[in-house]
Amino acid sequence: MDGKHGLLNAPTGSGKTYALWFPIVLNYIKNHPDYKTKHKKGLKAIWITPLRALSQEIKQSAERITQDLDTQMTVGIRTGDTSTKERAKMRTNMPDLLITTPESLHLLLSSKGYAKTFKDCTAIVVDEWHELLGSKRGVQMELGLSRLKTVCKELRIWGISATIGNLEQAREVLLGPTSPELENSVLIKANLNKKITVKSIIPKEMETFPWRGHLGLHLLDQVIPIIKKSRTTLLFTNTRSQCEIWFQKILEKYPEFAGEMAMHHGSINKETRLWVEQAIRNESLKAVVCTSSLDLGVDFAPVETVVQIGGPKGVARFLQRAGRSGHRPGKESVIYFLPTHAMELIEASAMQKAVLNSAVEDRIPYLNSFDVLIQYLTTLAVSDGFYPDEIYPEIKQTFCFQAISDEQWQWLLNFLVMGSQSLKTYDEYKKVEVKNDGKFVVNSRMVAMRHRFQIGTIVGDASISVRYQKGGYIGTIEEYFISKLSPGDVFTFAGRNLEFIRIQGMSAHVRNSNKRTNKVPSWMGGRLSFSAKMSELLRQELYTAELDISEQSEEIQALEQMFSKQREESIVPQPHQFLIETFKTRDGFHHMFYPFEGRAIHEGMSSLLAYRISLLSPITCSLAFNDYGFELLSDREIDIQEVLDNNLFTPEYMLSDLQKSLNSNEMARRKFRDIAVISGMVFTGQPGKGIKMKHLQSSSQLLFDVFRDFEDDNLLYQQAYTETFEHQLEEGRLRLALERIAQQEIVWKQCSQPTPFSFPIITDRLREKLSNEKLADRIKKMMAKLTK
Amino acid sequence: MQMMQKIQIHNQDFHLHPLGGLFWEAKSLLLISDVHLGKVSHFRKFGAAVPRKAIHKNFLLLDKIVADFEPFQICFLGDLFHSSLNKEWELFENWVAKTPAEIVLVAGNHDIIAPEKFEKIKVSIFPELVIDSFFLTHHPEEREGYFTFCGHVHPSIKLKGIGRDRLKLPCFFKSENQMILPAFGQFTGTHSLDPKKSDEVFAIVEDSIIKI
Repeated sequence: MDGKHGLLNAPTGSGKTYALWFPIVLNYIKNHPDYKTKHKKGLKAIWITPLRALSQEIKQSAERITQDLDTQMTVGIRTGDTSTKERAKMRTNMPDLLITTPESLHLLLSSKGYAKTFKDCTAIVVDEWHELLGSKRGVQMELGLSRLKTVCKELRIWGISATIGNLEQAREVLLGPTSPELENSVLIKANLNKKITVKSIIPKEMETFPWRGHLGLHLLDQVIPIIKKSRTTLLFTNTRSQCEIWFQKILEKYPEFAGEMAMHHGSINKETRLWVEQAIRNESLKAVVCTSSLDLGVDFAPVETVVQIGGPKGVARFLQRAGRSGHRPGKESVIYFLPTHAMELIEASAMQKAVLNSAVEDRIPYLNSFDVLIQYLTTLAVSDGFYPDEIYPEIKQTFCFQAISDEQWQWLLNFLVMGSQSLKTYDEYKKVEVKNDGKFVVNSRMVAMRHRFQIGTIVGDASISVRYQKGGYIGTIEEYFISKLSPGDVFTFAGRNLEFIRIQGMSAHVRNSNKRTNKVPSWMGGRLSFSAKMSELLRQELYTAELDISEQSEEIQALEQMFSKQREESIVPQPHQFLIETFKTRDGFHHMFYPFEGRAIHEGMSSLLAYRISLLSPITCSLAFNDYGFELLSDREIDIQEVLDNNLFTPEYMLSDLQKSLNSNEMARRKFRDIAVISGMVFTGQPGKGIKMKHLQSSSQLLFDVFRDFEDDNLLYQQAYTETFEHQLEEGRLRLALERIAQQEIVWKQCSQPTPFSFPIITDRLREKLSNEKLADRIKKMMAKLTK
Repeated sequence: MQMMQKIQIHNQDFHLHPLGGLFWEAKSLLLISDVHLGKVSHFRKFGAAVPRKAIHKNFLLLDKIVADFEPFQICFLGDLFHSSLNKEWELFENWVAKTPAEIVLVAGNHDIIAPEKFEKIKVSIFPELVIDSFFLTHHPEEREGYFTFCGHVHPSIKLKGIGRDRLKLPCFFKSENQMILPAFGQFTGTHSLDPKKSDEVFAIVEDSIIKI
């Protein structure tokens, strides 16, 4: 480490854990020549990992080093899984090397006298920094580091990141853009030339209509030989429900795999997951169906083959998964791509090019996440209290808050103390108080206790634990799913058929069942969007459909049948063309648009277009989108010629139009839910005791309305919009997409029935809605339909 | 004045107001349910910074509906206050003092404020009330020979249209012998109900009432 800070770019399994533990231990030895006989107690280094599941592994490698070098150093883990007893022990006796998560680090900052605990800490390593970077956990990490830089006397900061597009920026975010640490830092790239081979599984019989959502199961038979051929195969799915279904279907059709196959996803209990991970290492499993829960860390040398089911939606993720196989430096990685619908074959083909050019996307760091800052300031107020003049400069040094203004800072302080910007005497608001000497503290024990329960930035739906009636924890499920079940219903979870008995507190009681079922829990947040790079590659690939067959990839060739069906009434667009299709079904009038820009961009563009159309005449439409295009579905025909004549795709006034369209839209409202929880405005309940405060959950919705009506200058309310524009709709990319469309020739095809391109979109049931028709008019129409 | 809906039950005239109140013409009695006063202050007291201005909204709307009917009596069908005593009580005291009507409360599950406090400001509390052939209660409950007015549920109704248009609207929910009133309070959620053939639903659509 050489007294420097820095970022180490290395893939998993390249010995990076040793590369950083070694110098840490050596540094201790250098400063304590009598290290073999005398042991100086206290925390010396922190290792941050985003996944609790990885902590054991990291501990083992650290222990190997401390023992090999004959030191008496101790290694400890502190995560959400650590028992209260263990934590209490740490309070008086910290291990020398501590492995923890960003959340648990903040919990340490919320305990009294934390400065003393960290005083002799000389190094902090942030593992898998790329995973944290593009999320609010990254902001949380930045804030934690900003404090440690002051509290620790001599701190070295190191990050470890897989390959991402913006590695330089990743270093800047980790260390702070104007910090002396950044000046004294290095970026080390481990140059491992790993060969990755991508093979597509091409259906023997090609469908003309690419259905969305049959999960790729029609290709199950073609996967079996791949599993049989190699020692251990990982099958990556994109969602947990897909994982459950695949696991079940393989066993149904090939019962001989029973006992040799396992499942691994984030909602399954920890013991089972650890067991699966160990079994992979022991080579006792033939196949594991898993989700992103196996993306990170953990070395699995024996994995020979990886199968990706469905589009991975990003190059970096795909590479990471590919890297799971042949997991020893120098060995070749093989990854099979299984398309869940025909259109995804285009994706498969594009992915191969991406791998070839290692066209990896950026991770965009958050800016001005005031919700996280409010949480952090409360954390400090809960422990030893803070003086704003001392903390403000630290915060200004972080990447996230480099542009915070004095007014915003004052606003945040007022918000913490008064819950608003002006003091009224009858108000009972109570959270942070200011002492006479200007120190901000939390005096209420209840506020402090609640705050500690809620430290963190990952907000999910309320989760319910699933248990056997006789005891025995199976995993967690979203409350939303359980709420739809009635006692006696059977559902599949963790590879078992379970009968739902009742809800008690925050857990669902179940028993095993022999009944077959098709109910599989769905988990939200499984939908990812294409990155800019990926959609660009995808378009390039699609354009080859019109080339001579000799210039096409195997995948594009296989799609010929679908392409010719598409050409019957419509076209396969070329680089200079922008395709619009319209047709009618019994659902209403479908208007299809194909920018091929990725889901997120289509979400914004559809909302923008629908709004602009509604300015021409009142209309209600529902919006659907996928990575290829979007749909406006309405009860009456939209005049496309009028849309074109009025130049409704113009990038001009984009932002203000988007803002207006979002008013009647729900995106910002959804973002606000997380913000309300992170900033502590909505309390999610104590673990296991959530029910009592459950009504607060739905109240983030109500809160949003109240802010809109009474306090729309609230920074947290505004943040919901900023996040929607910058992170969800990717405003910048949207503008570029519109500029591209402006250069294209628009081809409008009026079709008599749905085309192959439109199929995956029109069958999507998850929709947005936009309307500026009078509510009463809409209801009249609905009633007319009811009585028909 | 907004678009109201007039209905007849047991040969009596009732007006449904889009703010969520129900007016019994012959008795000049205004029924209002689930106001949940004090919820905003309750949240603030526990460190959730709900905008303070929202406190006044409920009182403004109460003033409005009272002005529209000028009733002799106002009966709250429970859950008038969301929580234990807080500063919003003082605002309620002021509102009671300035409102020229007799005010009674049929207590609901949230009404945990001591009855003496209500008596002091001349608001009588009842567990339930029977007026002629009508039964007034907080929790839905049918009683032989009576027609029930109640609250508690915060009813709403989901509607579907062409092009997968969907809506959820608060409503008055009438079955053969019972009418559930919508929640009057601004800072409350709703619970959607599925109407049977014999049920009648009066949805609140902005400033009018529409029979579905």
